[in-house]
Amino acid sequence: MSKIHCSHCGLEFEETAMIADNIGNEKLFFCCKGCQGVYHLLKDEGLDSFYDKRANYTLEPPKEGYSESSRFDLDSFVSKYVTKKDGFSEVSLIIEGIHCSACVWLNERVISRLEGVIEANINFTNNKAKIVWDGNRLKLSTIIDKIRSIGYNAYPYDAKSQEELANKERKSGYLKLIVGIFATMNIMWIALALYLGYFIGIEKSHENILHLAEWMLATVTLFYSGSTFYKGAYYAAKNRSVSMDTLVATGASLVYAYSVYAAMTSKNEVYFDSVTMIITFVLAGKFLETMSKKQAVDILDKLGSHIPTEAMVIRDNEKILLPLDSIAIGDIIELKSGDHGAIDGIVVSGEADFDESSITGESEPIAKTPGDIILSGSAILNGVVRYKTTKDFSNSNFSIILRLLEDSLSKKPNIENMANSLSRYFSVTILALAFITFMAHFFILGKTFESSLIISVSVIVIACPCALALATPIASVVGVAVAARKGIIFKASSAIEKLAKASILFVDKTGTLTEGRPQVVRQVAVKEYDKALLIALLSSSKHPVAKSLHEYVGGKESNIVAVNIKELKSRGIEAEIGGKLLVGGNSAFLIEKGISVSNDFESASFLFAIDKEVCDVYWLKDKPRGDAKSAIQNIKALGIEVVMLTGDNAANAREVAQELGIVNYFYSLKPEEKLNFITTAQSAGKLVVMVGDGINDTVALARADVSVSLSSASDVSVATADVVLLNSNMTGLADSFIIGKNTYNVIKQNILFSLIYNLITVPIAVMGFIIPPVAAVSMSFSSIIVVLNSVRLKGKKV
Amino acid sequence: MDDNTLILMLFGSLLLGAMGVTAFIWGLKTGQFDDEKKFMQGLLYDGEDELREAAAKEKRVEEAKKTVSADSGEQVGK
Repeated sequence: MSKIHCSHCGLEFEETAMIADNIGNEKLFFCCKGCQGVYHLLKDEGLDSFYDKRANYTLEPPKEGYSESSRFDLDSFVSKYVTKKDGFSEVSLIIEGIHCSACVWLNERVISRLEGVIEANINFTNNKAKIVWDGNRLKLSTIIDKIRSIGYNAYPYDAKSQEELANKERKSGYLKLIVGIFATMNIMWIALALYLGYFIGIEKSHENILHLAEWMLATVTLFYSGSTFYKGAYYAAKNRSVSMDTLVATGASLVYAYSVYAAMTSKNEVYFDSVTMIITFVLAGKFLETMSKKQAVDILDKLGSHIPTEAMVIRDNEKILLPLDSIAIGDIIELKSGDHGAIDGIVVSGEADFDESSITGESEPIAKTPGDIILSGSAILNGVVRYKTTKDFSNSNFSIILRLLEDSLSKKPNIENMANSLSRYFSVTILALAFITFMAHFFILGKTFESSLIISVSVIVIACPCALALATPIASVVGVAVAARKGIIFKASSAIEKLAKASILFVDKTGTLTEGRPQVVRQVAVKEYDKALLIALLSSSKHPVAKSLHEYVGGKESNIVAVNIKELKSRGIEAEIGGKLLVGGNSAFLIEKGISVSNDFESASFLFAIDKEVCDVYWLKDKPRGDAKSAIQNIKALGIEVVMLTGDNAANAREVAQELGIVNYFYSLKPEEKLNFITTAQSAGKLVVMVGDGINDTVALARADVSVSLSSASDVSVATADVVLLNSNMTGLADSFIIGKNTYNVIKQNILFSLIYNLITVPIAVMGFIIPPVAAVSMSFSSIIVVLNSVRLKGKKV
Repeated sequence: MDDNTLILMLFGSLLLGAMGVTAFIWGLKTGQFDDEKKFMQGLLYDGEDELREAAAKEKRVEEAKKTVSADSGEQVGK
């Protein structure tokens, strides 16, 4: 019994389980027909150098059961994802199943070789493929089929999405910063000569040359990198308010204009170095903020992966694949295992178990028979069902949730961070002060126009809001890094400050506070028996209870062949193995089968009987996570109200709430009702944090001030959430609150420092004692202190 | 030190620096830094086979472009 590698995917299996193949002199082994098929395909196309390139990496065996590829040719798909350029069609796809660069190489090769493909470029890092092809000679579905034939899968990706736009913005911000840094670094060494010259004397001609160089660098910085501030000041002015941008824009411009004047008249000091420094420092702060800004995700695209864009409709006894919008009320739709229902309806024929957890939060599958209602968004677990639509797509449950979601996202409150709200007062005060200084020196003290101007300009220079601008971004960036090390991902640094100010936390139950799957809590072994029989029976069912039990008793693949397997939806399974009759299920099921069940075992979730005798009894429950209790206590200790919201029934809700010490809890909630709790709390002035995982939470998550999701959640929740807990436990939740508070404290310290610093230096400027070196040094100094204070966060214990 | 020397040194170094920054900006704009894995591992797939494939692909692209422009040319003519 030795283990050998599959010649295609490289995974190890027992020799006896492999398919043996002989090609020429070589003896090859494959783990499945899929791998064998791909191997021969590659060999025939002359691409077997792939296996040298693959080296020791392992792949996944090719999967089956993909959705129809013809959907890629439907107009609805084409108009959304395919663009036309120079007469060719272009599409962006994400390729699934890529494990190494050899896979990327293979895909690029195979796709490029198709007749009609002009270009196939796959990005090695994020597996995004850009394919350009001649739409007249080749269909997109052919390309997708080809990708699937070699063992991978592809799905579309909207290249025009907001994600791309955000990336472009970030790039341009980065470029401006690079230019600013280049200019500042060079200006510093040029300015050094001028500072010395101020003290020990410098030749006029030399001074002019240096001024010219400084002027060139400052001009580029002010008008290219500084354009961000001009735009920001313009928008602030349009809204009749003053922001940090206004201060920086006017300050830098005034200083620049004055310096040009001073350089040309060759009488006084120039402040070009201050111009570049102000712009570069504040731009660095802005860039740090943009870098950590959450990428606006196209929610519709994400949700779209949960419902198909078309369904199999039965018309006049023929099966046609139709896009959802063309399906009318009264049409019959057929659903197979694994499909998601996209339209509300009533079952006409067939029987199957449905998973409605994404809508209601109920973890147990619900059996549906003719006459039962199908909710759009639920998934069919096993069986085939035909149902008649009672609504059209846009009025179905799922579309309504989608609309609620979009609405919530647009109404999400935008709480300004502390620094920005302060900067408004700050800007107005400084500009007013500078003006007063000028007036005072010119009219009251009777100084020359020039001297008064210099002094008032120096007031603006010294009050440079560098420290204030950097206070929040730097602390946030460090906070985000500290959190990341603990497995907490903050998608937007603004979420850190908001968490610190939070007053109420809404928690979902299923999947968040609990594991999300039923788990064994108690077992009573009645008789000795061969566990392999139980495993064999369990492996024939996909029911969550069966799956959990299967894991509990060993979880190995069963070699025993079971015959006459009958699974009765949500009640139990029975099978015959080696002449023995095996029955497994709840007590009602066993009693039906004529097996006597003692009173103690009536409440059990799963009883196992061989030949009409009960051998093993299990109780399963969806247990709360191990660390949930202490996490909830820690959060309450911080002064935050904790409320549990769940779509599950009252009994389950009460049990979990009592175990975890949650006083306020609400059950049997629909997504809209969860949303109501959020909005009510917000209108009461509370800052709301919501933790959830399923699609039924997405609407509430989108509206909450801070949304938290576990990484094990549905990908829609992970995409919408501001914070993602990678370790999928509640300790991470408590930690994120603590990190938020610590970071906010540092931000407050930073702001306090920058204000005190200005309080000291501004009077000095008003009295007229500031010269360029002093201004430059003070600017750098204040920024450095803010950075050092923020770095202290790293050492703080959570 | 006289004026000319100063001018030469100052603007010479600034020019060199500017050239470096421009090259970096060009790289950013044309997406040279977008795919770090390809950057490191692309060289593994740079053998003779790949060159031949690339040449064949270029030929195919040109022919495809010719047929497309021929098609649209016909339509315009009509």
